[in-house]
Amino acid sequence: MRGFEIVRPTTIERAIELLESGDPGVRPFSGGTAIMQMMKTGMFVPERLVSLAGLSKEHSAISVDGEGGMKIGAMATLSTLERNDLVQTCFPVLARTMKRLANVRVRNVATVGGALSHGDPHMDLPPVLAALDAIAILRGPSGSREVPVADLYTGYYETVLEPGELVAEVVIPPSDGASAIYRKTTSRTADDWPMVGVAASLRLSGSRISSARVIVSAATAKLQRITAAEDVLTGQGPSREVFADAARVASAHSDVIDDAHGSSVYKSALVEIEVRRGLRDAFEGETAE
Amino acid sequence: MMEKVNLDGAVVNRIRFKLNGREKNLDVASHENLVDLLVRLDHFSARESCGQGLCGCCTVLVDEIPVSACLTLAQLVDGSEVKTAEGLAPPGELDFVQRAFIEEGAFQCGFCTPGFVMMTHALLKETVDPSETEIREYLAGNLCRCAAYPEIIRAVKTAARNRPERTEKP
Ligand SMILES: Cc1cc2nc3c(=O)[nH]c(=O)nc-3n(C[C@H](O)[C@H](O)[C@H](O)COP(=O)(O)OP(=O)(O)OC[C@H]3O[C@@H](n4cnc5c(N)ncnc54)[C@H](O)[C@@H]3O)c2cc1C
Ligand code: FES
Ligand code: FES
Repeated sequence: MRGFEIVRPTTIERAIELLESGDPGVRPFSGGTAIMQMMKTGMFVPERLVSLAGLSKEHSAISVDGEGGMKIGAMATLSTLERNDLVQTCFPVLARTMKRLANVRVRNVATVGGALSHGDPHMDLPPVLAALDAIAILRGPSGSREVPVADLYTGYYETVLEPGELVAEVVIPPSDGASAIYRKTTSRTADDWPMVGVAASLRLSGSRISSARVIVSAATAKLQRITAAEDVLTGQGPSREVFADAARVASAHSDVIDDAHGSSVYKSALVEIEVRRGLRDAFEGETAE
Repeated sequence: MMEKVNLDGAVVNRIRFKLNGREKNLDVASHENLVDLLVRLDHFSARESCGQGLCGCCTVLVDEIPVSACLTLAQLVDGSEVKTAEGLAPPGELDFVQRAFIEEGAFQCGFCTPGFVMMTHALLKETVDPSETEIREYLAGNLCRCAAYPEIIRAVKTAARNRPERTEKP
């Protein structure tokens, strides 16, 4: 084959039509930062790339409703998340997370939709959105559906996305007083891919934890929401002991795998430490970063 | 419509874009990235080194935003404005960032320098007086094999001081 087709639809409906064939050589192309690597290594041999860069501005918009819920268009770049005033005010954890994700040039073009769809478990954005109870709005040939970000992944580089289906938007419910954090542990440089990613959120009602989220990623084959650890926390008063118990449970329930970043034994130990510190950070409200 | 094929037998599309202020109008193959295209146009300041977005040697500005040209499909710059180090000053002259890099001796082999210079331009456009931390964070995705980092950071500070709008205005 000498070359492939690059198309730039201007509406999401047309993009979906152009993707609909389900042919493995046909894929959406947003920032291109992940898909270019796959093309360069021959992991993906394109027949048609459907660039989403020509879609109207509404697909990269960020807005907040009266209750403090946020909508983020799939084509919003990671730099926009980093700098947007609404994001910084309503969900500062998102803006903070961007600072240590890749580099300025990658963030300038990489999109929220691409970061959610790629399916690499070593991604920083999905666990944070999952801890915020974010919902991905998917649009495809058979219409639109809502999937919690925590349920988007079925395995290593595997997602629930059907052929022709796009992540169109992300909706985050109002934080309602919850405090969320993300802790990224790298084994080489500070801005490397995470070896362990832990996102957590705590909501207090009086002196009790009324709801908790514990998400583990990077160390595992896919992002994992650890409800067993959340159950340890819910209804309890925050304390070092409770956080340590939850962290032990989180580590025991994480399906940690070996990879180039470290052995599973090492990473399991780190998951426990990072969940414990993450819960403390969420409770204390500010993170070290 | 009949597909057009180039001399290598690759299917091409015609694109128009501005390169350092000059209109370009030419056939581009689907697999070409922006470094390939620039080299074809005799622009050699953006170099493909890692090819993965990591090192910044291929940094160019597309519509004033710094990107890795190695991860940019050339056909997708259709309609955009691309700026490379060649376009910073008229031939034979240097602009204030380039001069700052020379003044501070911020390179040895120079391979990484155009990338750092373009990033510095972008940084100084966003932040008037970047702190040391801001400089380090912004340039963290640019690698210098000769490890001229301390001099590079000094050069950015010098450039910030010497920027034309600062020295020309009273
Ligand atoms: C040097 C470098 C360092 C990096 N370091 C980190 C890091 O530390 N942490 C981290 O989290 N990430 C890191 N990344 C990965 C980066 O976050 C992803 O490459 C990026 O988020 C993907 O977004 P994109 O818009 O470029 O996606 P693309 O490359 O355009 O697409 C990625 C995949 O998603 C599909 N896709 C794209 N958009 C949509 C959509 N709207 N709906 C459905 N499918 C879609 C594509 O078909 C493709 O399969 C790094 C990348 C690079 C190049
Ligand atoms: S060659 Fe493009 S970033 Fe290294
Ligand atoms: S001066 Fe040699 S790589 Fe930077």
